[in-house]
Amino acid sequence: MAGRLDGRVALVTGGAQGIGLVYCEGLAKEGAKVVVNDLLDCAGPANQIKEDGGEAIGIGGDICDPDAMEAVVQKTVGTFGRLDILVNNAALYAGIQRGSMFDITLEEWERVMKVNVIGQIVAAQAVARQMKEQKYGKIVNIASAVVDTGIPAFIHYTASKGAVYAMTRAMARELGADGITVNSISPGYVDVTSNDPLPKERHDDNIRVRCIKRNQYPDDLVGTLIYLSSADSDFVTGQNIIVDGGIAFA
Amino acid sequence: MAGRLEGRVAVITGSAQGIGWVYAEAMAKEGAKVVINDIMDCEKPAQTLRDSGAEAIGVQADVTDLGAMEEAVQRTVDVFGSVDVLVNNAAIFAGLQRRSFFDIPMDEWDKVIHVNITGTFVPIRAFAQQMKKQGSGKIVNISSAVVATGISDFVHYTTSKSAVIGMTRAMARELGPSGISVNAVMPGYVMAPSNEGNPKSVDDMNVSRRSIQRTGYPADVVGTVLYLSTSESDFVTGQSIIVDGGICFG
Repeated sequence: MAGRLDGRVALVTGGAQGIGLVYCEGLAKEGAKVVVNDLLDCAGPANQIKEDGGEAIGIGGDICDPDAMEAVVQKTVGTFGRLDILVNNAALYAGIQRGSMFDITLEEWERVMKVNVIGQIVAAQAVARQMKEQKYGKIVNIASAVVDTGIPAFIHYTASKGAVYAMTRAMARELGADGITVNSISPGYVDVTSNDPLPKERHDDNIRVRCIKRNQYPDDLVGTLIYLSSADSDFVTGQNIIVDGGIAFA
Repeated sequence: MAGRLEGRVAVITGSAQGIGWVYAEAMAKEGAKVVINDIMDCEKPAQTLRDSGAEAIGVQADVTDLGAMEEAVQRTVDVFGSVDVLVNNAAIFAGLQRRSFFDIPMDEWDKVIHVNITGTFVPIRAFAQQMKKQGSGKIVNISSAVVATGISDFVHYTTSKSAVIGMTRAMARELGPSGISVNAVMPGYVMAPSNEGNPKSVDDMNVSRRSIQRTGYPADVVGTVLYLSTSESDFVTGQSIIVDGGICFG
């Protein structure tokens, strides 16, 4: 069966585990050649995708380091000949200290901003240079529905993801002329067992306020990612799509 | 190749011509069984789809008439057995003169409000009954990017399309527990047949304000309608997606 991303090359930051790995698998299933990027080991997950019949390589590199991301792009193009899709997924989340805005230290604030904001622009800078040469590209920035709900005790993370909304729009304006779309996805609270800092009551709270009364899983995000990575969204840019089972509306 | 709507039954209101017809053709191509609905003759377009190898019927009926819509549901279920997708596309747009709200005749105001709002509400009321029985369904309401831009001299149309967004959110809440998602698409200015007679300056103005600086066509909206009609968007509900080449950001 022909996939919707046949012949496309996709780079997923933070792709070695969790939701990022689910994105890699979803993209590979639609025929994309996938580059798994992470600070963690990337060869293992890339091999796993290959065993499942996909095409993938692992290229480690720190998204906050411009030289490292430049090298990731060079290696990608060296291996697969091009780079069509960037999924800006890597971010600090699980290990972040939650607390009142008065209690969050400036060190913690800066740590979150560095990875979640600087990391996305550095990756986009490196990748978009290549996309401009190709005159085609799809950038999908992972934001968060916390920007819309403004949940308490998490202001650094919320602010960092709010910056993603703004960067998405500004990048869309700057890159549209080169046939590059830039959109973002705002996931709601996803049940990732290995990565779950919240008690069960919080899940129940989320289900109660959703239109669709069940937990959210990583797989629920894949359809929207494929839409924003494929030609289906070639006239859609600067937009954010909330995928949260219907809590916040935009 | 298996289509993304293989075996699904899709009803598209206002689909005998124009953008609605483009949606109908695209859904048939993805394997859907298509119900062409319009106040105009629906037999000829349905026959065209059948000639191309698709399953299709025409059901001529007024979207503002609850009894007629309930009959359309019955007919659809009798022929195809279910209703999986409803695209609420029928609306008054072509032929509406751009003029100051001081000059809009009250009967024109009433007609636009009636067809565009009631004509979205009534089909949902009729078809969602059937979707509730099935425990699944996808409703796609066609709104407009004019809600975001608030263009002048078109206040009846803009008001009516704004109501579609409110309706989308409220119905998402009410239908979510039954496994039905309700979302809206907000297309920008596209070269639909009804716009082909407009002065070139209108298109030029739109192109100049876009991130993606080219003329938009009905085909540019299709990918988003498909995304919202398939299981790819099953955890997405109550959302409105702007498809305008990046003029407004939502």
